[in-house]
Amino acid sequence: MVALLVGMCPGLDEGLLRSLRAADIRTVEDLVSSDIEDLAQKCSVSYKALFAVRRVLLAQHTAFPVSGADLYEELLSSTAILSTGNPSLDKLLDSGLYTGEITELTGGPGSGKSQVCFGVAVHIAYHLKQSVIYIDTTGGLTAGRLLQMLQTETNNRDEQMEALQRIHTFRLFDVCALLDCLYGLGGGGGLHMACVGGGSVKALIVDSVSAVIAPLLGGKQNEGMSLMRQVAAALKTMAKDFSVAVLVTNHVTRSGSGEAQPGLGMSWSHVPTTRILLERVESGASGRRSATLIKSSRQACLIKEDFDLQWWSRAEGGRGGAGGGGETSGKRKLDETDP
Amino acid sequence: MFWYHPSVGVSLQLLARLEARRCLKDIEPQLFADDGGPDRGKTELLYHLLCRCVLPEAAGGLEVDVVFVDTDYSLDVFRLASVLDSRLSADGSAGSDDAVLRSCLSRLLVVRCSSSSELLLTLHFLETTLSSRPKAALLLIDSISAFYWSDRSEGGASVAKQEEKLSRCSELLGRLLRDYRITIFATCHPIRRTSSGPPSSSSEADRSHLCRAWQRLVTHRLVCSKQEAEHNPANGDQGSGEQRNRQVFTVHCSSWTGTKGSRVSSFRVTDGGVEFVWTHRPPPGLSVVL
Repeated sequence: MVALLVGMCPGLDEGLLRSLRAADIRTVEDLVSSDIEDLAQKCSVSYKALFAVRRVLLAQHTAFPVSGADLYEELLSSTAILSTGNPSLDKLLDSGLYTGEITELTGGPGSGKSQVCFGVAVHIAYHLKQSVIYIDTTGGLTAGRLLQMLQTETNNRDEQMEALQRIHTFRLFDVCALLDCLYGLGGGGGLHMACVGGGSVKALIVDSVSAVIAPLLGGKQNEGMSLMRQVAAALKTMAKDFSVAVLVTNHVTRSGSGEAQPGLGMSWSHVPTTRILLERVESGASGRRSATLIKSSRQACLIKEDFDLQWWSRAEGGRGGAGGGGETSGKRKLDETDP
Repeated sequence: MFWYHPSVGVSLQLLARLEARRCLKDIEPQLFADDGGPDRGKTELLYHLLCRCVLPEAAGGLEVDVVFVDTDYSLDVFRLASVLDSRLSADGSAGSDDAVLRSCLSRLLVVRCSSSSELLLTLHFLETTLSSRPKAALLLIDSISAFYWSDRSEGGASVAKQEEKLSRCSELLGRLLRDYRITIFATCHPIRRTSSGPPSSSSEADRSHLCRAWQRLVTHRLVCSKQEAEHNPANGDQGSGEQRNRQVFTVHCSSWTGTKGSRVSSFRVTDGGVEFVWTHRPPPGLSVVL
């Protein structure tokens, strides 16, 4: 509810405000919904003046309608597709992450979500030379790992540093700090300030969004759902208004029939445009994962692709796995990997 | 059904404009609420409806203006454009002409709201838009339940306060329906997972969680749900067009004005939009679903 204040618009002076308050009209919504003729009589003001005030307030506070054709033109010129660096993932995502959309990676612990996020960040910073904002809510981000991935791309120290500078990190551990950060980036030119070394911010990675929201859900409080909705709205606004590709990660829960499904429930499920489920592959090398497309507006669902987590740390000229590639230094060190 | 407004010069003009408004296929002004879980084809149905309205008559459309109120930034203009494109080129005569596509898109007016106050004020603003655009015949709201949780937490402990804004929006929509004779189609996201039984048996439990004023306004309800995916044995690993598993959705439409009854349809989502598979009426002995 937007309260009526003096000076909000020309014609809304002290006297008018007092008589409106006496007639129990305190907010813009009340004024707009009430019958102007009646109100003009009750407050003994001129109908014309009140109608003019109503019209100005309405114009100030409503959303601006846009024609579909203009919207289409604008999107054509501002949408970009960012490759993730891994061809199998790109195939699932219909050639990459789309700006203006939210893509979600979900998977159980150790399924490689953070590694994929690191790989995407490194690829965008180094190959595409664009800035990336990485919001880490789990404490799993280490610059050492990013540097390790970069070292397999190039041996030039300067280039590595330049790429690292393009990745802006934020460490937050609760939802209010996350909202603060997103609003700060969104308004007041925060995104522009984050552009260093050329290239604008093209990707925003939040790892993981469920870590800050899941503890608030459940029970009788409504706060959790409302905060989740605010986070969703902030992410969508960032994506659409600033033409940024948003990548978020989520945990999984088991459905009634025992299969894995993304967490955060139904209210979150319509927020991401594309959802990918990551799973470990039982047989095969330790870095193998399978990715299944579970929601997409562009491709048929349930397409599965196997890919290698070590792709982003492979040396030039070959995929990882057998020799030459980097080590799998994920968050959880498993027994069989040899350095 | 108009009121004499002092600022509108001649009331006769207003009446003439109201009569000239094109009626949609389902003649009387109605409010549809489209429910269904995520990824159950609701958005595709909306786009199908949109395309039907904005396409030129030569391509099978109605050539009317559509106002799309987007509350959760979910409008995918590219998907819409590709569906329009495929409908236009399937028709063959116009070809996939860029100019025709743009003229179709210009019949669409998109408004984005970020809170329920903004939605309420925008609906007021739309009154003037609707009266200045006599060809506008369809209002699509995606989705009306977007602010449900924000309203609940803002309203605190009092249920009346929680539902206040949505009730006001519903009253306003009712007035728009009566005065401008438009059709309104709104989507609603459910808040809990429903069991995957046949739609007709679970829809009693599936009652809308939105406020009473909204429930009173709704005259038809379409519940979308997923059917089992068709098993396609010839599924190549490249996933080419014809061999993809096509997800089939069912829509269960129940209405309680005019012709009481329910109807079930199935549709599939393809590159060219929604493709209906079959329609059947349940046997007359079945009770009406409310």
